[in-house]
Amino acid sequence: MKPAYLHHYVRFVAACTFVLLVAGGLVTSTGSGLSVPDWPLSYGGLFPPMVGGIRFEHTHRVIAGFVGILMLILAILTWRVETRRWARFVVLGALLMVLLQAVLGGLTVIYLLPDPVSVSHACLAQTFFCLVLSLTYFTSLEWKSGARFDSIGAAALKRLLILTSALVYLQLIAGAVVRHTQGAHGLALHITLAVAIPLHALFVVRKISCEDALSVKFSSHALCIGALAMLQVFLGLGSFYFTQMLKRPDDVPAGLGEVLFRTAHQTNGALILSLCVLLTLRCHRLLRRAS
Amino acid sequence: MKTFRLFWIIVFALTFCSAAQAAALNGKVVFEGAAPAPEKLKTDADPTCKMIHPDGLMSDSVIVNANGTLKNVFVYVKEGLPAGQKYEAPKDSVKFDQHGCQYSPKVFGIQVGQPLEILNSDDTLHNVHSLAKNSKQFNLGMPIKGMKLKKSFEKPEVMVKLKCEVHPWMGAYAGVLDHPFYAVTGDDGSFSIKNLPAGTYVVEAWHEKYGTQTANITVADTDQEASFTFKAA
Repeated sequence: MKPAYLHHYVRFVAACTFVLLVAGGLVTSTGSGLSVPDWPLSYGGLFPPMVGGIRFEHTHRVIAGFVGILMLILAILTWRVETRRWARFVVLGALLMVLLQAVLGGLTVIYLLPDPVSVSHACLAQTFFCLVLSLTYFTSLEWKSGARFDSIGAAALKRLLILTSALVYLQLIAGAVVRHTQGAHGLALHITLAVAIPLHALFVVRKISCEDALSVKFSSHALCIGALAMLQVFLGLGSFYFTQMLKRPDDVPAGLGEVLFRTAHQTNGALILSLCVLLTLRCHRLLRRAS
Repeated sequence: MKTFRLFWIIVFALTFCSAAQAAALNGKVVFEGAAPAPEKLKTDADPTCKMIHPDGLMSDSVIVNANGTLKNVFVYVKEGLPAGQKYEAPKDSVKFDQHGCQYSPKVFGIQVGQPLEILNSDDTLHNVHSLAKNSKQFNLGMPIKGMKLKKSFEKPEVMVKLKCEVHPWMGAYAGVLDHPFYAVTGDDGSFSIKNLPAGTYVVEAWHEKYGTQTANITVADTDQEASFTFKAA
């Protein structure tokens, strides 16, 4: 298999990982995390009755298993066809990450959702998605043979993107803490960063649009981040309304609105993070400081 | 002969006295205000539950009886029992059933160490997750009709929530105590705590939605009456 097909395969893995993220988000949003009390089997078998919360939890496990197999195949393929040594180790790291993620998932079930494990499971999921998306870039034509160009604002833009990505990652952790402690912890930091990050996204868009060379190459990517950051504010307000203001009684299952807002908020957060990381990589790869 | 007769008189007198010094605390839990409209719960998530309740289920978190009293209030002695007194946990299990995709009973009392027998009477799978803070939590899958499991609680806790992680509308509460002086109001809103030794107690009434009310009660050698009133939010 030629390396060009490797890129397409990695893109397929990234797409499946995205679906897995959504499935995982649905598990938390519907409160189905403990609907299957055993692990790795489900009610002692591979095919439990798909009723109630089991539909979400077991589907999540099945997709996770599928992504694990895809990653194993990717690791084998990369080791065979990829000539760059560092890329092989990145794929190996991603494979280890997905295995660790499986273990964390099992621990959440066996130990009845301890907050630190649930938060780690959520954060590692998004980190893994970022890594897989980065792999799509590392195997892309732009990485291998994209033309580097000079930019006056190269250094400043790189710093801004690293800072923005770091803030988004911190927001991801705060969001996971809020989500898995039902708002008991992390809410103040999460709201503070919810104000800071859209501003940073605007700074990035502005920085890129100020210079023609940057604008031509990166403006659509930056605008995408900006648009998603604005959308995230709306989704966050909706999630806040459902979880903190509506005060749904415990015996009333989460409605469609709540599930959609909370899952979309979590998934969109993952997209923002991965696009920020991707843009950071692209700038580091292609930009040279103009002398 | 006289000594023998005197001996038995004393024995009977002591027995009568000790029995007379334990009494019952009886009462009602009244609800003031308009009863909240129960929320309708969809059971679509499970075809078996949907078949049992084709029109959905009504939330049972607040049940106001026809006589204006409140059902499922846990009433118990919170303070005042003799220090150091130990009450042996009954060997009989408290029965806890999953029937018609609902838990039964909704609210119950149990002593520390007393067996809780959990039964699945439904033709679908359930699980029981205890959200105890003071005792070890459990999350048990019960996929088969007729399946029984036994558990117990190691420490007192008012109240321990039990929920089904498969069917999110299913919830129950267990009052775990280290003594037997508790009761749960039924369809007439009444409660009766029997064999309470003479003394002054703090008695608490707990409701899932309306919180707690306490009262100071002095029990002597006759049955005592007490009532609690919860108001609509």
